[in-house]
Amino acid sequence: MKASLGVLALALGTSATVLGVGTLALGLYRRDERLLRAGRRYVFLVLAAAVLAVGVMEWALLSHDFSIEYVAENNARATPLLFTITGLWAALEGSILLWGLILGGYLAVMAYKFRDRATDPLVAWATLTGLVVALFFFGLMLGPANPFKTLGTAPLDGRGPNPLLQNHPLMAFHPPMLYLGYVGFTVPFSFAIASLVTGRFGEGWLADTRRATLVAWGFLTTGIILGAWWSYEVLGWGGYWAWDPVENASLLPWLTATAFIHSVIVQERRGMLRVWNLSLVIATFCLTILGTFLTRSGVLNSVHSFTESTIGPVLLGFLGFVAAVGIGLIAWRGDRLRAPGRIDSPVSRESAFLANNLLFAGLAFVVLLGTVYPLLAEAIQGRELSVGEPYFDRMTTPIGIALLFLMAAAPALPWRATSGEVLRRRLLVPAWAGALAMLVAVALGARELAQVLTFGLAAFAVGGIVRQFWLGQRSLGLVRAVRGNPRLYGGLVVHVGVVLVALAIASSSVYTTRREVRLTRGQSAEVRGYEVTYLGSRTERGDQKTTVSARIRVERGGDDLGTYAPAISTFPGTPQGIGTPSVRTGLREDVYLTLISSPNRQGRVTIGVAVNPMILWLWVGGGVMAIGTLLALTPGSRRPRIARPAPAAVEEPVEPVGAPV
Amino acid sequence: MALIAIIVLVVVLSKNVVYFRTVSEAVAERPSDGDRRIRLAGEVVPGSVTETRNGVRFDVTDGKKTVEVVHRGDPPNLFKAGAPVVCEGRWDRGARFDSDRILIKHGSEYEPPDVDSERASAGRVAA
Repeated sequence: MKASLGVLALALGTSATVLGVGTLALGLYRRDERLLRAGRRYVFLVLAAAVLAVGVMEWALLSHDFSIEYVAENNARATPLLFTITGLWAALEGSILLWGLILGGYLAVMAYKFRDRATDPLVAWATLTGLVVALFFFGLMLGPANPFKTLGTAPLDGRGPNPLLQNHPLMAFHPPMLYLGYVGFTVPFSFAIASLVTGRFGEGWLADTRRATLVAWGFLTTGIILGAWWSYEVLGWGGYWAWDPVENASLLPWLTATAFIHSVIVQERRGMLRVWNLSLVIATFCLTILGTFLTRSGVLNSVHSFTESTIGPVLLGFLGFVAAVGIGLIAWRGDRLRAPGRIDSPVSRESAFLANNLLFAGLAFVVLLGTVYPLLAEAIQGRELSVGEPYFDRMTTPIGIALLFLMAAAPALPWRATSGEVLRRRLLVPAWAGALAMLVAVALGARELAQVLTFGLAAFAVGGIVRQFWLGQRSLGLVRAVRGNPRLYGGLVVHVGVVLVALAIASSSVYTTRREVRLTRGQSAEVRGYEVTYLGSRTERGDQKTTVSARIRVERGGDDLGTYAPAISTFPGTPQGIGTPSVRTGLREDVYLTLISSPNRQGRVTIGVAVNPMILWLWVGGGVMAIGTLLALTPGSRRPRIARPAPAAVEEPVEPVGAPV
Repeated sequence: MALIAIIVLVVVLSKNVVYFRTVSEAVAERPSDGDRRIRLAGEVVPGSVTETRNGVRFDVTDGKKTVEVVHRGDPPNLFKAGAPVVCEGRWDRGARFDSDRILIKHGSEYEPPDVDSERASAGRVAA
């Protein structure tokens, strides 16, 4: 019954998207305002259908209705409440359902925000584009990824979610955050397509979608950092980032979106980089689809014999369609996309933004190549291979450092052109701070060039940011200054977060100490100044899992820092043992304990002990970036200035509704 | 400038490619692989596993060829006789394979429940 209700909701959503697309297309063709107004209303029906479908799925999960295959696979009677609810995004079909709900939400907010401009062809085309995307995902759920597939006979108990997914409450937040980020880019994408179709590629669509882009970017940033945190706290391999295809899939759209957020400012101020910005938005959207394809279709990680899902080719087809439409539209409009402005001096804000964009695009290319190279090699040469982490580390480090330098210097550069005098006045103090930081780092024992540079540039950047805040304080008072230009100050706060993240990465990638010690009860070992003592172990048998935990006392210089309990859990039905690390978090460094093997016949355990410096600042940095994004989103008392070079070139003539498609 | 960047990219990429080889393939390619990192896939030969001072030593086979593997670090939980494994490392000067990372191939009954579990299984099993 629930299954039929769920499928009914999906069918309702699909019909609403089809009707919405049809009505809007007809309205645009006939220039009928009534139809355009009616068409946008279908968006709310799509949202209602998505809410209903998700509600039915949650109902099925909560009532353990194992006649639905998805529930039987991802839920068991003994699954705790939290993980029963999060079961919605524990597997492919449910994740697509969540995707549909979030997409419905974004489209509804968009339709509501632009309710007074429903007859504006730009808005109508954007709504139509968003609905086409929604149609794809609803179609996916009615077809190959149907979450409401039923089983002939319902099993007495379900399989339960994958053990890894019910080990930590972070699981409740990390995937929805990522999806809120991924899906949010549908809004700027829809407007970009609309601006290309209607021929209005001035700055209007940018201003319209500025906030949506920032919201999506903020969620994606938070989602990536939470993913790293989850990886660190749950997976127990001691790190937070391994250049895994799944991690790369979330990083790729983030890179192009970050480039876009910066280059938008150039277009708003100077009217330049139009083709580039449109390409970035379309690329970002394509990369979110590519990411879903890479992680969902089982094409990568051929080491693991995962069952192949049928949605791979469908996603790839959609990706090809979106890319073809985007490239085709840009090519079609190419002659009219030439921007009025040009760069006057290589040392100016706009050229710094341009360099920033080239670096971000280069970084995205490097990561993309490393991620899909195994696929290409297998398709072309028929050889199975993987790309080692050193490739990513070696290629991304110099680009990252160059970006850090730009982040430090660019906010001090004036638009158009500058003089040596201005540069000296604005950058002298921050530059000294940077030089001093490098000296201190070397004196404290830093020897890696990349690391010393990171410390120096971090101080350089912070120096520049402090100077900006101080100027704001002196001219208007800090509160009024921030309220006058929240985007600038919010951006600077985000930069502080980036500095913290960079420091944490630079420290932890070089100075981590990792050892495995084998201890019998009462024995202790010393790892970089910490003494770890094995006090004993305990076995807990629950109906969901059996957990063996070792009690480990951590001491430093005679001070007892507490007792920690790394554990290994085994779940019925899965042969995998899941390790749960135990971390002593500190301002300066973490002591990271893992139980590698439970007591053997002689009562001896193997404990992994890692001392990871500065990790805490990675999470703090992520939080600061989120706060900065929120600050940038607050409504300012002054609208962002938009380039108006000459009256004639302000906005291209609006093409009549129903322009050739 | 762009050309130099692309050359650097290609060189670094080709140096860090880790080929996936079955035991027979690995033995056949040993002369050309030299000390390049590879992934060696096979089954743990029952009865061959012994503990060493800092890890384990065991034989892997694909039914045709058998190779002795010396692994640094503790093997992951699922490691046992007969288990299908993928060892990452390089040939030492003799005919032994030095491994520092063991991945366990999941059984076919295991389906990818989520991105994150895929991420988890993508090679964090041993450090």
